[in-house]
Amino acid sequence: MKCYYCALEGKESEAVAICIVCGMGLCMEHTIRKDVDVWEGGYPLPSRRVKAPLPRILCPECYAALYGK
Amino acid sequence: MTVSLGKRFVAEAVGTFILVFFGAGAAVVTLMLAVGTGQATPFNIGIGALGGLGDWLAIGLAFGIAIAGAIYTFGRVSGCHINPAVTIALFATGRFPGRDVGPYIAAQLLGAAAASLLFAWAIGPDAVTIGGLGATAPFHGIGYLQAIAIEAIGTFLLMLVIMGAAVDERATPGFAGLVVGLVVAGIITTTGNLTGASLNPARTFGPYLGDWLLAGQNLWEFFPIYIVGPIIGAVAAAILYDNLCCGD
Repeated sequence: MKCYYCALEGKESEAVAICIVCGMGLCMEHTIRKDVDVWEGGYPLPSRRVKAPLPRILCPECYAALYGK
Repeated sequence: MTVSLGKRFVAEAVGTFILVFFGAGAAVVTLMLAVGTGQATPFNIGIGALGGLGDWLAIGLAFGIAIAGAIYTFGRVSGCHINPAVTIALFATGRFPGRDVGPYIAAQLLGAAAASLLFAWAIGPDAVTIGGLGATAPFHGIGYLQAIAIEAIGTFLLMLVIMGAAVDERATPGFAGLVVGLVVAGIITTTGNLTGASLNPARTFGPYLGDWLLAGQNLWEFFPIYIVGPIIGAVAAAILYDNLCCGD
């Protein structure tokens, strides 16, 4: 699979990841890794943050849509 | 990693404040509405004079809706026990750390006291002299031990539902707050005119302190009912549930 963003720019590069939201193939340059905290538990016990965050791979467009950046 | 103890302390205090302000407050307003309607029997103190058991259902729903709101708001922060009996039952069954029990109970008592005092200030002297700030006491014909038993049985049902609807990992997610609130409303409807249906030492502590400070009314002789009964009931329910429903 090729990187969609690079293809738009007329370049060709191998995809190393896929956006978890839209499924777009992404090269390292266009990959955004967003670590998300995971919480477990809750009423009637305080919720607890799991030590390791959950990694999420996003393309720049989905990242901007989700996080407004 | 959990939320810091300081934040959980505030969450417990605010949650208990909501419970007492709106729940016990509903009892005060009912008594103020019933003033002058006459007392049919010594068993009728005013709540029930206008709507019979419907008065107690309304008070129960005020408690239940406030509790559900607090649970959905603070459940993830502190666990939203808002009841020392629940805190002690969770500790007794090894689910809650002993070092946090004292701060949690202190927060619950602080929140309840603040709610009663602020309610008295907001409504005025009638809230204390007529409504008694919604303080609980055994009704006519209900003895001390009977009152302890009624409080224990009511809290037993409450804690049993907390165990089944929230603590048990197999419970349907998202419904605990609603179910716990409705169960509290049901318990209050039945046992409200027997003991006041406190089910919660903090809920009784707030109005007792307010009545004592603002009107010199001393109800502390009844306080052990609302400590011993709820704690026995909650601990028994948690242990029973663990033995009946966990493991094989």
